[in-house]
Amino acid sequence: MARETKTVRETKVGTPDRSRRRPRFEGELGSREKTDLDVIGKRQPRLDGPEKVSGRSIFADDVQLPGMLCGKILRSRYAHARILSLDTSKAEALPGVKAVITAKDIGEIDVNGREPVFASDAVTYIGEEIAAVAALDELTAEKALELIEIEYEELPAVMNMRRALKEGAPLVDGKTEGNLWSDDIDNYGEVEPAFETADYIFEEKYEAGVTHNLFAEFHVAVVDFSLPDKLTLYTPTQTSYLMQHALAPAFGLTLSQVQIIHLNTGGAFSGRGSVRPHHYIAILLSRETRRPVKIFATGDEEFLVCRALGENKYKMRMALKKDGTITAFDMEAEMDGGAVGTEVGYFGWMAGLCNSWVFPLEGLRMRRRCVLTNNRPNFLGHGGLMLSTNAAIMQLINTTAKKIDRDPIDLLYQNAIEEGHTGLSGEWFASCGLRECIETVRKASDWDNRYGKLESYHGLGVGIGSMAAGAKGAFRHDTSAVMVRVGEDGIVTVYTGIPDMGQGTHTTMAVIVAEVLGIDPNDMKVIAGDTDLTPIDVGAFAQRGTIQTGNAARNAALDAREQLTVYAAGKLEVDKDDLVFRGGKVYAQNAPDKSMGFEDLVYKTLHGKEGRSVMGRGFYNSPLQFGTTSWSFGAQIAEVKVDPDTGEVQVLKVWVAHDLGRAINPLACEGQIDGQVYSAMSQILYEEVQTDAGLYLNPSRLEYKVPRSYEMPEIDYHLIETIDPFGPFGAKEIGEGIIVVSGGAIAAAVSDALGGEFIGEMPMAPWRVLKHVKRVQRQEAAGRSAA
Amino acid sequence: MAKHLVTLTVNGDTYDLVVSDNQTLLDVIRDEVNLKGTKRGCTTGSCGVCCINNAKGEAVLSCLTHALEWDGEEITTIEGLEADGELDAMQKAFIEYGAVQCGFCTPGVIMSAKAIINAHPEPTKEQINAGLAGVNCRCTGHIKVKEAIRNDHRIRELGRGTRD
Repeated sequence: MARETKTVRETKVGTPDRSRRRPRFEGELGSREKTDLDVIGKRQPRLDGPEKVSGRSIFADDVQLPGMLCGKILRSRYAHARILSLDTSKAEALPGVKAVITAKDIGEIDVNGREPVFASDAVTYIGEEIAAVAALDELTAEKALELIEIEYEELPAVMNMRRALKEGAPLVDGKTEGNLWSDDIDNYGEVEPAFETADYIFEEKYEAGVTHNLFAEFHVAVVDFSLPDKLTLYTPTQTSYLMQHALAPAFGLTLSQVQIIHLNTGGAFSGRGSVRPHHYIAILLSRETRRPVKIFATGDEEFLVCRALGENKYKMRMALKKDGTITAFDMEAEMDGGAVGTEVGYFGWMAGLCNSWVFPLEGLRMRRRCVLTNNRPNFLGHGGLMLSTNAAIMQLINTTAKKIDRDPIDLLYQNAIEEGHTGLSGEWFASCGLRECIETVRKASDWDNRYGKLESYHGLGVGIGSMAAGAKGAFRHDTSAVMVRVGEDGIVTVYTGIPDMGQGTHTTMAVIVAEVLGIDPNDMKVIAGDTDLTPIDVGAFAQRGTIQTGNAARNAALDAREQLTVYAAGKLEVDKDDLVFRGGKVYAQNAPDKSMGFEDLVYKTLHGKEGRSVMGRGFYNSPLQFGTTSWSFGAQIAEVKVDPDTGEVQVLKVWVAHDLGRAINPLACEGQIDGQVYSAMSQILYEEVQTDAGLYLNPSRLEYKVPRSYEMPEIDYHLIETIDPFGPFGAKEIGEGIIVVSGGAIAAAVSDALGGEFIGEMPMAPWRVLKHVKRVQRQEAAGRSAA
Repeated sequence: MAKHLVTLTVNGDTYDLVVSDNQTLLDVIRDEVNLKGTKRGCTTGSCGVCCINNAKGEAVLSCLTHALEWDGEEITTIEGLEADGELDAMQKAFIEYGAVQCGFCTPGVIMSAKAIINAHPEPTKEQINAGLAGVNCRCTGHIKVKEAIRNDHRIRELGRGTRD
């Protein structure tokens, strides 16, 4: 019986008026002057380095609270089954067990308003939470899980999108009418006319497999909810703020009663932006036992609880003019959302937009269909869907260039947008160094002398891309606030709520404050990772850290400086606007001998007549109602070699040029580039969760392949500074702007090494590459016999 | 679960411990000796975050070995590298060369790096790669880690973590 599918939601946005620069921005524009800075731009080692290299850093698993219990979760073994009975009496009777909870014990609480904490009448994916135990120790908790008796009735499951969309397919959760969760189409500009008037239309299909975020630090939650009005949660996260907003209403608390402590976060890679069932379960167990509880995901459990990228299938169509002008894209994506409908559709929209910003298109159409299956609920991976979308588009352009007898780098340069361009979805690019990036890598890699002249199985590929630095959306605000406390001893402490999951954002904030106050960042302290101590910060995602929190830090430092100028101006007898804070001193702009030390100034400000203790505060909220003010741009060239016998791909070198606005800390910027090239290479070539009927076949870090040290290419870094008018000191982002472009460049290079044909599958694992090697060999043989 | 008395020397301090059959060396370091620098990761020997050094200065994955087998042995954990109130040259090199990001795997990576240097004081690229093969760092792409290891000897000579 045919079922009704979800209504298609379609929007149309006409071509924006490109004749004027965006007036609503103008009041907000900062200086584009490339001023001479003292602290920013120096290679600054991480301030938390000594703690991290000496084993002193505390991660959630290191937290040991008095009376703490061990929590364990019983997970579904079936992809789809009815729960006929669930008996926990034997587990409850086991000595040492302090609580056993299931769906019937927890009331109306659900996860993010979207999925149950525990399955009640049916399970819809392998790994779904059914019950949980809190016990004195891990062994007892594990034993208790074994004593829980469940009777299942296995139900037919749909394990891929094709089957899920078939007529008469079993329903994933019985709650929706069909397995199509969402179907969105967005049209920008003039799509149909662009295709109708195109001289060439090229079309390709691209499929990306299932991934895992594979953070170094596993999923873990330590909770103390033993008193009813105070919930403390230690957990790695990208956003304590959004966690507070999810957890407080669920447990009848105010935001301030929920304390999230994220002292350190062991990697996130877009996978820690949300609360997950294990957080709720640890909280429920703690509430039930009135004792602290720790839940830690063990080896293969880590794969079951992960929410990363699911299977994604794309169809890309590109319209071109004879002269190589790219006029339109039509992208269709089919995305496996897994058993819980998620924001995957939105991520697909972001990915499509993000990868078309770089071209001055006439039309853009994107359709995103999110499908429910009995797979694990999917979310995001490093680079999101932007990575795979870029890999498809850049391959399409590199292969198209060959077909129309153009050099791909010329084609990209010709089509690259420039500063001041207004994009189809209304974005205005206030700074853009895209063409400079292309020229830089072209020269550095000696592209003109090498492209097309390499031997067989040796390839070069070029990619370009762009990334939004921050994207205001979910709330009316996108606020980050920062406090700067100037200690009596002249030591400055920065208080920030932004999580540092490795990207080095705490050091970035210190550097920005140090620049404003003219002090040495190495003498500073950063207090972060505890919502009871730090001001509001929406979090570290969407590449918003440097631009949002960075601007807040700058504002807070300016506020502190303003307070310090009161005493300094009087003492030095100069106008306060003529004071310079630099090199640990405060002096008059035109009379540098009129100076005093920073520490001396702080001391005298406090011990003077006024007795002023200096504390700066600042916040920043994007001037837009929605969206982004600043975008990074980048170009990369990758060189690869394919082993025709094994199908293995070796990445030899990657040339990276990235317009990041301004490099606050080049050492950290290089680290960001390294990590993202690594992760792009990992996803393009290796990473794939393999399943059979929903069962994980490679749930370990040995079998789920990622690059090891010996596989890493050489990287050539070029940081391009365009000094963005919105960014703090002109900085934009270097968070995920690299990974997206690396993906495109590496994919295009593999395609070039294999005769220049589009490779429609990701990861480009050896067994897939070998199919293309065989094609190349057939083509070569045919060429020889024809000759 | 049978219990056994085990004498273990960790970073020069000797502990008399009661150890169960099922406890790994990692469990004992973290829970009995109460040193938390050695991290708990996959506990199946695939991620490298629990790496320590044995008495010979070799890398050992502490999650893969029973604590019982270490009776009478000496080990070094990340906490044992400091001397005279100063970080070890390798630790300084990791900071200076930006080889630390999230920091979760860092203790394990540094203990792997120490094992490389213990075996080859001025290691070749191949020796570094072989010594890091068990490391699953997800942030750094291994690149600055290798730079730090290559320059560890220079920092040893300088005696402090400064860049030229």
